[in-house]
Amino acid sequence: MKFDGRKYVIITIFVLIGIVYSFKLFYMQVVDDEWKLRAQQIAEKRREITPPRAVVFDRNGNKVVSNKTYYNLMMVEANIEKLDTVAFAKLIGWTVQEVRDRFIEIVEGEGEYYNKHTGKTTSNYQRIRAYPFIKELTAEEISRIAPHLKNFKGFYEEVSSMRDYPYANGANILGYLAEVTQPEIDKDPFYRPGSRIGRAGIERYYEDYFRGKKGVRYIVTSAMNNTVGSFENGKYDTIAVQAPAIHLGLDIDLQAYGEQLMQGKKGCIVAIEPSTGEILALVSSPSYDPNLLVGNRKIRENYPMLVNDDNKPLFPRPLASEYMPGSTLKLVQSLIGMQEGVITKDSGFPCNKSVVGCHNHPSAQSVTQAVQMSCNPYFYAVTRRIIQQGKKRSSFEDSEIGLAKWAEYMHSFGLGVKLETDITGLRSGVIPDPAYYDKWYGHHAWKFSTIRSISIGQGEVQLTPLQLANLAAIMANRGWYYTPHFVKSIGEDGPLPQFLEKHYTMVDRKYFDPVIEGMRRVVWEPGGTARRARIDGITVCGKTGTVENYIGSIKQKNHSVFIAFAPMDNPQIAISVFIENAGGGGGTWSAPTASLMIEKYINGEVKSTAKEERIMNAELKGGPK
Amino acid sequence: MRKNDSLTGNLDWPLLIAILTLMFMGLMTVYSVAFDPEHPSIFDFSQKYGKQVMWLGISLFLGTLVFLIDSDIYRKFAVPIYLSVIAMLVIVLFMPEVNGARAWLGIGSMGIQPAEFAKIGTAILLARYLGSTNLRSQDKMTVLIANGIILVPMALILLQPDAGTFIVFTSFLFVLYREGVSYDPIILALLNLLPMRWLHFKQTWLGSHFIPILFVVIFISVTTLLLSQETIAIEMFGGLEVEGKWGMVFFLGIISLVAYFLMRSIFARRDRRRAATIAIIGFVLASGLALVVQLGFDELAPHQKERIELVLGLREDPDGDDYNRNRAMAAVGSGGLFGKGYRNASVSSVRTNHVPESETDFIFCPFAEEWGFAGTIVLVFIYLFILLRIIMIAERQKAAFNRIYAYAVAMILFYHFAINIGMSIEFMPVIGIPLPFFSYGGSSMMSFSIMLFILLKLDSQRKDVLN
Repeated sequence: MKFDGRKYVIITIFVLIGIVYSFKLFYMQVVDDEWKLRAQQIAEKRREITPPRAVVFDRNGNKVVSNKTYYNLMMVEANIEKLDTVAFAKLIGWTVQEVRDRFIEIVEGEGEYYNKHTGKTTSNYQRIRAYPFIKELTAEEISRIAPHLKNFKGFYEEVSSMRDYPYANGANILGYLAEVTQPEIDKDPFYRPGSRIGRAGIERYYEDYFRGKKGVRYIVTSAMNNTVGSFENGKYDTIAVQAPAIHLGLDIDLQAYGEQLMQGKKGCIVAIEPSTGEILALVSSPSYDPNLLVGNRKIRENYPMLVNDDNKPLFPRPLASEYMPGSTLKLVQSLIGMQEGVITKDSGFPCNKSVVGCHNHPSAQSVTQAVQMSCNPYFYAVTRRIIQQGKKRSSFEDSEIGLAKWAEYMHSFGLGVKLETDITGLRSGVIPDPAYYDKWYGHHAWKFSTIRSISIGQGEVQLTPLQLANLAAIMANRGWYYTPHFVKSIGEDGPLPQFLEKHYTMVDRKYFDPVIEGMRRVVWEPGGTARRARIDGITVCGKTGTVENYIGSIKQKNHSVFIAFAPMDNPQIAISVFIENAGGGGGTWSAPTASLMIEKYINGEVKSTAKEERIMNAELKGGPK
Repeated sequence: MRKNDSLTGNLDWPLLIAILTLMFMGLMTVYSVAFDPEHPSIFDFSQKYGKQVMWLGISLFLGTLVFLIDSDIYRKFAVPIYLSVIAMLVIVLFMPEVNGARAWLGIGSMGIQPAEFAKIGTAILLARYLGSTNLRSQDKMTVLIANGIILVPMALILLQPDAGTFIVFTSFLFVLYREGVSYDPIILALLNLLPMRWLHFKQTWLGSHFIPILFVVIFISVTTLLLSQETIAIEMFGGLEVEGKWGMVFFLGIISLVAYFLMRSIFARRDRRRAATIAIIGFVLASGLALVVQLGFDELAPHQKERIELVLGLREDPDGDDYNRNRAMAAVGSGGLFGKGYRNASVSSVRTNHVPESETDFIFCPFAEEWGFAGTIVLVFIYLFILLRIIMIAERQKAAFNRIYAYAVAMILFYHFAINIGMSIEFMPVIGIPLPFFSYGGSSMMSFSIMLFILLKLDSQRKDVLN
């Protein structure tokens, strides 16, 4: 027929459409990812499941950090029907205005979304989505609200997990959690807005060990944003894994006892197991109950109070407070002197009060006696010999060499350097070296007589109580230490590898014995400065320190310092106690406090009740001398 | 007349098998998309899949019935059939409104849509009229009557209103084209409205090929405007981002290239040189058209633009990003190469309800989402096979009536296929018409089955016809 050719036009149209559609389908389904992402936005939601953080046990298997169930009061605006705001406010104990403000806060908190196709800005807030109206209600609080929620459609309760501290102790060790900041979210994909992160203490240091492995669920959501089921039958889902339990070297009972002893006093106690470097107790006084900083609500309520407290309970004194160590430094001076060969254990020096003040005692005829009597002129002489060894004609140049050597020794004792303990907020203390004094006085413009107060642990020398406790551990071990640390095991693994590395001091083992004998006599011999540290049946070795201090030019009551270890042979505990402005000497308050801690740890109970009562009841408020 | 030995002796099995395959695929997709775990049986008649089983049964029963009737009655009773569907289209206008349209005749879910059957009646009368032996295809009267047969039901359908079926009726214009009906008289009449005399105008290329040209122009215009909203990333050039119109030109270039190679393989040796010419001219004309349309659209006043965008469904949702097609495309596009697996559609499942009507008009979405490109390419090929098979059947008819009817069926199926799939892949505005033999629904399944079985019957009896 005449028009038969026209069938080709129609066939061409069919085939062309078929080809065009096939191309487009190939492009959309195989090449272009845009629609896959869009599908995920619309219907295939990724839900992360954060496991509860690792629990923490002390050295005796007591749970010191666990997780507790809390409740969020959730809200879905689309489901709210004729809300009786007055009744609702009454139920949750808010004012009507607070309820209104909270609604606005939720909407504004969601931010806005800019659509580049239409140029319109819309709020990310969705009426059909669930938002927490009140976060972190306790079981008790929710039990008051929950029965009445049926009258308020659109509100319901939801469970969440937060930290719980069965003991109200060790806040400065354990630290606390807080919501992540935007930079933290940007840096680590683990965190989402609202995630919690360790903000202080071991929670911060061991954050990666605490948080566990997140689980992921891919779910299919409906247009009403309800969960319809799992995506592709959970093919891509993973389960959340809680991190293994963390065991501390801490003895929570000892810690609690220490905090009790330190009530009414400002200062710290640090106790270490010398053979392992595990920290047994780390008391910072005054402290706070760690349960005060659980969850946003409590942090908002309590944090300002703690931060503004003049006594600074949040400040981890044992790690971050730098004090002059006083006479406790004499132990190290005598060891350095012997190692350097400028004295022997039998060297004697007269107690010449014209160079530096001292109390009344016979002149020391040996290192042991000097330690026992804590003779200031003796250590002045020893330190002078260490600093000025006569290697150079000029005493200025000579002092420079000598001080450099001295500082090196000190560093080998972990003094004046940061002890890399597994906690954040550490300070290194100050052991002055030549560069330090050059800055003050100028190059070669100082010599021993300029800096002599360092011989007795005054002046520019500053140490943290943790370093003092470590010094006690070094004495106990006769010359070496493990870096003090809190965590003895993580799950099946031991402590971090750096805590298994032995650090040796630059002083030989043999020089320790006369000094330790001196420390024994400090406690046990007449003329010793710490007779109050005696415990029946336990040979305590210790050294007192009395630190003069001023506010402006007004002399304040002395700081009281005591470091010790016990028993003398096979030591189990090394300890430092530092009480600010306690008055008297190191033996008056710190020595008995230390002895109570030692007795408690070694014997498990304290029989020296009179001593205990005296310390516990003491309110040492400080003030001018 | 010579009768066949067996009833099915001349049945076109390939076409029937292709149709049955579609029906099966459609049913399985409905079963997947509307699946209710509490009613797991596919024969649960309280569920859509159960009902679809029933509709399929009824449709095949009706088809068999049609096959038993002598095909001669359609030609003989073409006018009464046509008038009765017109009558139904009038009656339906007095029925209560359902979902904003008076489209349903009958009660509740057991109703039928007369518009679906109007297609058959119109096709039959058109075949009867254009198939008459003394038809003069270039006459003014011919083009007026032929268009009139189409326009009467169209007008009634527009009153319902049912835009989808209205548009589908324009597919009959291609049947007119195939039969050589010329639009020259109409074009001449229009030209004479201008203050100039067009006496020498007699027979033109434009008048003869008016319909396919119009179709291509509209298709390219619509596609250009749909694409104009977006920037297209051309992956082959390292994700080069271009404006929508240049993306369109790029696509047209690819299509022209493909068309060129296709023509080369089909054309006779002496015509091969013409393939390049046709491809280049086609490309230049089509690109020019796309650019002119875009340019013209950009020049429109904002409120005019808005109207057009409204018609194209680009402004269906005030949120802009969230209109139905966007979600339909998300469903199709997220299927990937092999899909998410049977019953795993997340965007277009009825349970999630992100894509509306995903068991009826948007059923292509769950199918594409679950079976991926592997599934959609198979589906496109099955439809293409059916369309070309019907053209083949049409061209082997001795009787003009049979041929014209076959073309009508092919064009209706083509329109449904092109619009239904096109609206999920950004080639067509969202127009609510079902995917033939695939979508859930009684009326469309029954009317398509009857339409097809009439064709199969006509074809099986083609040798009986003497003239």
